[in-house]
Amino acid sequence: DDKWLEAHYDPVSSLYTFTQCITMSDINADGDHKLIIADLGTGSYDMKLKVYKGTSLMTENAIIDLPTGVVTFYMDTNEPHTPAIAVASGPFIYVYKNLRPYFKFTLPTLSVNPVEQDLWDQVKEDRIDVMSLREMLDGLRCEGATLTVRSMRFLQLQSHDLEPFASLHKHAPLKRQTVITCLATMKKSMAEEDAISCLILGTESSHIYVLDPEAFTVLATMDLPSVPVFMSVSGLFDVEFRIVVACRNGGIYNFKRGVKEGKTVFELNSQPVGLERLGKNIIVGCMDRTLQCYTSKGKKLWSVAVPADITTIQMMDHQQKGFKAILVALANSEVHIYRDKYLCNVMKTPDVITGMKFGRFGREEASLIMTTKGGGLVIRILKRTAKFEEKDISAGPPSSQNQKLNVPKKTKLFVDQTMRERENAVSMHRQFQHDLYRLRLETARNYVKALDRSMNPISTNPQEPLKLAAQVQGLGPIFKLTVNLQNTSMTVPSLDLIITFQYDNTLYKFNKSIIQTPMLVPGLNYSFEALVECLSDKGISDTVKVFVLKKNRSVPIIAAIINMPISEAMVVV
Amino acid sequence: MGFLSAFASWLGMKKKDVNVVVLGLDNSGKTTIITKLKPAEARTQDIVPTVGFNVEKFQTKALAFTAFDMSGQGRYRNLWEHYYRECHGVIFVIDSSDKLRMMVAKDELTLMLENADIKMKRIPILFFANKMDVRDSLSSVKCSNMLELEKIRDKPWHICNSNALTGEGLEEGINWLTDQVKDILTQKKK
Ligand SMILES: Nc1nc2c(ncn2[C@@H]2O[C@H](COP(=O)(O)OP(=O)(O)OP(=O)(O)O)[C@@H](O)[C@H]2O)c(=O)[nH]1
Ligand SMILES: [Mg+2]
Repeated sequence: DDKWLEAHYDPVSSLYTFTQCITMSDINADGDHKLIIADLGTGSYDMKLKVYKGTSLMTENAIIDLPTGVVTFYMDTNEPHTPAIAVASGPFIYVYKNLRPYFKFTLPTLSVNPVEQDLWDQVKEDRIDVMSLREMLDGLRCEGATLTVRSMRFLQLQSHDLEPFASLHKHAPLKRQTVITCLATMKKSMAEEDAISCLILGTESSHIYVLDPEAFTVLATMDLPSVPVFMSVSGLFDVEFRIVVACRNGGIYNFKRGVKEGKTVFELNSQPVGLERLGKNIIVGCMDRTLQCYTSKGKKLWSVAVPADITTIQMMDHQQKGFKAILVALANSEVHIYRDKYLCNVMKTPDVITGMKFGRFGREEASLIMTTKGGGLVIRILKRTAKFEEKDISAGPPSSQNQKLNVPKKTKLFVDQTMRERENAVSMHRQFQHDLYRLRLETARNYVKALDRSMNPISTNPQEPLKLAAQVQGLGPIFKLTVNLQNTSMTVPSLDLIITFQYDNTLYKFNKSIIQTPMLVPGLNYSFEALVECLSDKGISDTVKVFVLKKNRSVPIIAAIINMPISEAMVVV
Repeated sequence: MGFLSAFASWLGMKKKDVNVVVLGLDNSGKTTIITKLKPAEARTQDIVPTVGFNVEKFQTKALAFTAFDMSGQGRYRNLWEHYYRECHGVIFVIDSSDKLRMMVAKDELTLMLENADIKMKRIPILFFANKMDVRDSLSSVKCSNMLELEKIRDKPWHICNSNALTGEGLEEGINWLTDQVKDILTQKKK
């Protein structure tokens, strides 16, 4: 690899974690940034907060419940100025200072369904038996009520476990608590790197809470239509801020300071697997194997397809080089680096990457920490001399597409016309639709008429596929009428056909009124001729109809109408 | 080098002036090592991360060294190559307790060895596997394995463990460097 140095690879570091649970920070204020990982363990036990100094594990702290996010933040200005670690787990935020447990924040409880409350009150007074309690709770649940964890657990139990469970819990107050789904930080009133920050939490109850870093009180609550799963925060809480949230329903919402309800920015047509903000643009990785970019107003700028499922995305912000890009980890064990919509590097990894973080680790500015599906830890460092050529492996439209065309200036006529069209758009549309329907109707009518009378030059009867063409030659008063007949079938010859004419016999006289055709071999063109004499010298003309008939059938197979030319006056010599 | 001064140094009247560049990643202990090599009275008290580079002078029994103590920070590493042309030797300091960045040190070493001004010259390279006092630090053998020093065939090189805080190991390294530089200078004269 000409861009990345493999600094460390441990395939069996037994880490099971995701991007949201990895962070790097100078927690000892010694210039050596530590790697902080909330390890999900087996998913049910062995959850740990691990801190690595360089490649070696420095400390471990057990976590009670599944962690959903880890951040570090400065909560005070005390010396030595070290950041605290916050771990989101269940309904709690555990705060560690100097790697020791310091504070536990619990999410505010939510209101309990009154019927549910009443039921448990009855249990306390032994006025209801567990079987009917179960029935009632199940009924509530089916009606769509959100129940407390206690009731949910109760509903999962086997019949013989109901009674002990109820008697164990009935005296404790009934509480409905939600869990934290995502965690982020926001500087409070100063933008410095080491300024005090608030914690921002998203919860399963579709809320966002902003916590005061010193008192751990809720400073602001915001509501969402769905469960937040990814957040991107910028700005200062006391001045102005933006929180962009990706929700489980595929919607992306935006909060400003002072706003309580999220504004929909756009809706994805697939579920998000990661959200990052690059300047004013929002970049989302989706489950439909696309990486999409939108403006903060929700206008879609681009979308690129990636060759495999996206497992996670991460921003790569290399300040020294002034290089910003998006790292996209894929299920085919590759990490693709996109600068805008251009793929500029593909990195192979020994396993599928499930978590990654780019930033300062140890003393190295450009470190990329990756954890794998199999529990491995990969650390790569960007080479000092690495260069990312834009469109290195270019996928996307040719550059000529971006060239500006020399479009002439709009004329006054054009502008007037546009104005007129804009003002009368509705009536124009109606008129157009009206005319279009008239046209369609007229066409349909004529088509039916043509079918009825077999007035078309190509037969519609599949048994007799024929093509007819007739033409008139001469100046008059005697004309030659040539009828060309072709059997258009591939194989079947046509037999027993008759050509006949219909005309005004006061005006025209035919030398023969019936032509018997021989057998028509498929594909060949047969010509038949008839002489027509015009009987009038008044300079008038009429039409002559040519029919092709089958013996013993009254309806013609095909017909043609010939407009006879005006006969020149007879020149008597 | 003028004829007169060469003559003088041959007579042992004046120590020969030689230049060395001191390279290595930031925080590896370059400035600490160079300071330790200076006489006690000339030492500056506190050592801070070097900005750009410092020029320091120190003497051994045979030579007067002018050391270009470069900054190891990423943004200053592109300065290193400007001092390759004039140098008679290289001191490359490795932080043997920073396993994570061993590959970065190797990358910088490779870049140096491939530089046109170094490639042509047969100059000695002295490696200090510094911070040997730190727990879990790598031995000089391990460091030389990770940096693949055995691949350097066209230049004399030497690696020794050191502790710049106490000065342990520094003398051994500098003695080797002095001998090498002297050898090369006398060969040139012939
Ligand atoms: N334990 C220990 N610490 C050392 C040793 N050598 C240097 N240090 C410490 O390492 C730190 C960095 O030393 P410096 O000499 O400034 O490193 P440098 O290579 O000059 O760094 P830059 O100038 O930034 O390139 C200082 O805090 C030194 O005290 C050593 O042998 N052992
Ligand atoms: Mg220095």
